[in-house]
Amino acid sequence: MTTQTETPLAATVADRDDIAHDLEQLSELATLVSSARDAMSDELVTRVASALSEGITLLDRLTRNEGLMRLLQVLDRPESQHLLIGLSEALGAMSRDIASAPPAKGGIVGILRLAREPGTQEGLRSISLLGQYWSESMRELHRRGSG
Amino acid sequence: MSESKIIDACNTFCPGPLMELITYMKQANVGDTLELLSTDNGTASDVPEWINKVGHEMISSEKVGEVWHIKVRKTK
Amino acid sequence: MRILVVGGGCGGTILANNLARRLAGEIRARKARITMLSASDQHMYQPGLLYVAFGQMMPDELYRDQASLLESNIEFHVDPVEEFQLDQDQVRTESGKIHQYDVLVIATGSRIVPEEVPGLTEGAETFYTEESAVKMFKALREFQGGKLAIVVGVPHKCPIAPVEVTFSLHDYFKTRGIRDKVKMKYHYPINRIHTIENVAKWTKPEFDRIGVEYETLFNVKEVDVKNKVVKSEEGTETEYDLLISIPPHRGMEVIEKNKLGQGGWIPTDRHQLTMEGRDNIYVLGDTTNLPVSKTGSAAHFEAEVVADNIASIVKIGAPVREYDGKVYCFIEAGHDRATYAMFNYQNPPDLKSPNKSMHWFKMAYNKMYWTSVRGLL
Repeated sequence: MTTQTETPLAATVADRDDIAHDLEQLSELATLVSSARDAMSDELVTRVASALSEGITLLDRLTRNEGLMRLLQVLDRPESQHLLIGLSEALGAMSRDIASAPPAKGGIVGILRLAREPGTQEGLRSISLLGQYWSESMRELHRRGSG
Repeated sequence: MSESKIIDACNTFCPGPLMELITYMKQANVGDTLELLSTDNGTASDVPEWINKVGHEMISSEKVGEVWHIKVRKTK
Repeated sequence: MRILVVGGGCGGTILANNLARRLAGEIRARKARITMLSASDQHMYQPGLLYVAFGQMMPDELYRDQASLLESNIEFHVDPVEEFQLDQDQVRTESGKIHQYDVLVIATGSRIVPEEVPGLTEGAETFYTEESAVKMFKALREFQGGKLAIVVGVPHKCPIAPVEVTFSLHDYFKTRGIRDKVKMKYHYPINRIHTIENVAKWTKPEFDRIGVEYETLFNVKEVDVKNKVVKSEEGTETEYDLLISIPPHRGMEVIEKNKLGQGGWIPTDRHQLTMEGRDNIYVLGDTTNLPVSKTGSAAHFEAEVVADNIASIVKIGAPVREYDGKVYCFIEAGHDRATYAMFNYQNPPDLKSPNKSMHWFKMAYNKMYWTSVRGLL
């Protein structure tokens, strides 16, 4: 019998703690909302609305630009991303080497020395292949009509 | 020669039947008859109130089905 | 299909942009063509004029380049129409060019004609043009107290303006600390404070609370500028020290000159929005003779219907929609609170209590307008 009367009492106290905690949180929330409303001003609303509106206009223009959308699709491919990143890294390394190397003196001897470097042959091969594929792509573009 | 014109202001709330009548009254010539159609019951008392205060002439006012037909004449 | 849009205001711009998007394919394939003719290279946000009159907005904020608001596949010319040759399906412009059309949309708007009321131009301040709004602001600044009268001409665009300007005036003088020195009297043409019943019902106690006197059934007849008295057709008169007017309006001169409608209001079918007697001509915005509020909101909804219909006529040969009379207008109630009125041919407006959030929505809309005329919102 003691247990029966004790348990409901204990539950009530625990409930009261929970309720008090919840009320405190609600009160905090209400204060937050009220502060936000106080902070709102005509200028704030106007600036945000302006940014959002222009944002919608810009987004609309971008999404209706077919070229941009196709480019984004191509950029989605991991391969494209790696190539672009690779190119960017190569340019970075190249710029550091050139910065530390003395300027070329010019003349045949310099050219012959350069021809012997493996990097030159790699570079010429890359450019040659690039030229081949790029020319083919440009011919294809004009065959299809650039409209 | 006086003219007769029908103004259909049924199912409109703004500017509303009496405003429409005042607009057409301004365009009308002295002696012209205007017939205002309205589905708003208030029009039946609004129009005579204005016509009498401003000095034009009430000709008739009757409800046909859901629509009030209110005839007035421009006198000045 | 040659579509000619005459008028580059709110309705015309939304119509042209909506149509340009829907018919993008047809325009590319040269099966359709949209041309717009306007009297100005600028587009004005007219609701901003009320803010200019109280120094809350600068005149330059009212304008944007019209060309910047139009889709790139619309041919735009600043060359207003002088002559409508409807039997030949063509118009002649100021520069002498002839534009032939298969479908014509007339959206030329309306203008104020204070000269219709003797003494009104000289005697009253108004805010319905840029010049007059700036002049009104300066007059308000100089005003130190006395009798202020507000009068309303018929018809006029923006039906809620009389109520809004009254609340704005009250707030303005309160801020300046001279409200007790100003005796405000509001005059309205019909037998209640506002044509919309719920607005009148709500406004009357508000006017009582803020100390604004009112006289109904007051149609402005003339203004005695020398003695500063404004007189009504109904035989009453009011003395004033400062007179604020919402002038009477007419459609544009070109509409009257070409006898398209008495007073410049073109007879229009209230659902199809076609010109009476001519199925290939649409009319929208202020220049219709429809018993619908002359507001940007009505022009906007009408433009959407007409765009849908012209596009469907191009694609399947028949219109698909009707205009249901929809209008949605903000109502600034002073003290940073606002409400709105929304109604159509079937449903009367039902006003909610003014609140701050609605006021912020109106503030936001002042900026959203530019995105809205591009046909995006």
